[in-house]
Amino acid sequence: MSEEDILRKITERFGERVLEAKILGRRRISILVSPDAYKDAVKYVAHDLELEFLSCLSGVDRGDSLEVVAHLGFSTQVLIKTRIPKDNPVIDSITDVLPAANLYEREAHDLLGIVFRGHPNLRRVFLPEDWPKGIYPLRKDYAPEHPKPLRGGESG
Amino acid sequence: MSFEIPIGPQHPIHVEPLMLRLSVEGELIVDVDVDVSYIHRGIEKALEVRPYIQGLYLVERICGICNAAHSLCYCLNVEQLLGKEAPPRAKYLRIVVEELSRIHSHLLWLGHYFHTLGFETLFMYFWRDRERVMDMLELITGNRVTTAYNTIGGVRRDLTPEVEQKLRRTLDYIEERMRYYEKVIDSEPTILARTQGVGILKPSDAVRLGVVGPHLRASGIKHDVRLDDPYSGHDEIPFNVITWDTCDCYARVKVRVKEVHECVNMIRYALDHMPSGDYRLKIPPFFKAPPGESLSRVEAPRGELVHYSISDGSDRPYRYRVRTPTLANLLSVVEMLKSRDGYEVYIADVPAILGGIDPCICCSARVVVADEARRRRTVMTLDDIIRISRDRGVERR
Repeated sequence: MSEEDILRKITERFGERVLEAKILGRRRISILVSPDAYKDAVKYVAHDLELEFLSCLSGVDRGDSLEVVAHLGFSTQVLIKTRIPKDNPVIDSITDVLPAANLYEREAHDLLGIVFRGHPNLRRVFLPEDWPKGIYPLRKDYAPEHPKPLRGGESG
Repeated sequence: MSFEIPIGPQHPIHVEPLMLRLSVEGELIVDVDVDVSYIHRGIEKALEVRPYIQGLYLVERICGICNAAHSLCYCLNVEQLLGKEAPPRAKYLRIVVEELSRIHSHLLWLGHYFHTLGFETLFMYFWRDRERVMDMLELITGNRVTTAYNTIGGVRRDLTPEVEQKLRRTLDYIEERMRYYEKVIDSEPTILARTQGVGILKPSDAVRLGVVGPHLRASGIKHDVRLDDPYSGHDEIPFNVITWDTCDCYARVKVRVKEVHECVNMIRYALDHMPSGDYRLKIPPFFKAPPGESLSRVEAPRGELVHYSISDGSDRPYRYRVRTPTLANLLSVVEMLKSRDGYEVYIADVPAILGGIDPCICCSARVVVADEARRRRTVMTLDDIIRISRDRGVERR
């Protein structure tokens, strides 16, 4: 299936709910959908287009909104994206469609504060347990402070 | 009645910090919890505040063993953003170094794997031969471990005829040694007993859990980024994608041993058909990338590596996402360690199964203190450890 075919099939299937669709390059397709179509789009690409391999799931801070990007496919990579408001960053989890998303969703939850509805175990994965609540290091408003010296204030 | 056994964060079966909490009934493992929180170094955030050229140095340090794959993936990503492509000679030189580091990584893994199974002699043998590969990497790139060979727009050094001769001799040596090792692995009863039928991962589960690399191919799935998504002239170089269908730890050993042969042949082909011309494009060190996004994938020794970047038109990435192969493979460890109907996993199988994915985890800061009497577990922070060690020091004085 060529890039154009995949793009056409997805835009035909989801119509209005596809907000932006483009080909980034050879074997690279990017599709931005509305949040209510996100899970259906992932399901459609994974099952109907038979690209049932989640190679990555990324979170991006887009200013007012947070973006979730699911990377699907062995050879051709289809990026299914959706944007959710920063003050209520809730999106359906895709772990029941693709269990591989488990750790990636936990990572996005940990570092960007995205809440995945229906995730079986949405715990911290990378940050320390004593990391303050509500501070998400990969958001743009977070500026890392200088590392603390190990020996209380001395040069050491 | 099940008991909990912690393995890690520091444990002889693995040199890097990883915490496995095993729930066991007798000798059987019934549940597993993996904790990888000892490693996060905030590199994705750090990449957002550095110009592209400085990011290259940081990306190489994500993983010492896969450094060539990481720097290659980064360079491909930035080149894609700039709309540039490395010259043909650079592509072939990149393949030479990429495949050499795959040989070194696979030899390291094989040695380490047999070390965790208790076969120390084979460990010594593999690591001795690996040293020859490291010497070649040093000769070609100028560095033994962090090769710093790939750069945006090509590679840093050309290959001289003298070095090429030495490289060919080393390849002959490695090929002969690998034939011997294959014989050892197939005939040594200890290895067969410890690996055959251990850590089964069915092909359907492997795809479902997003497993990558040799681990996926050992479950019989023919996926290799070099074949499915050629990125550096791989469509011109003939090679076989090695798969094995027993889906156990033995398959993971076999796939890697056979892959070393493929690497040797690929390097030979690249040397024989090396294009002439420039080995790098002239790109100024500081530049602004046009707005857009780019996604690059590289078959690292441990599996598919994904770099995804978004540019807003400035001199540094707006967002840089790195998905390392081990993160993709971790979920399968949990799956393989759990006993199910007709599939039993014992505590003694843990090193074989965990080692089978070639885990790569770095940097530790904290420890877990298990208080068995009160059935309570607290995680100590670095500050706590420093405070306690200071207080103890005062007591002793």
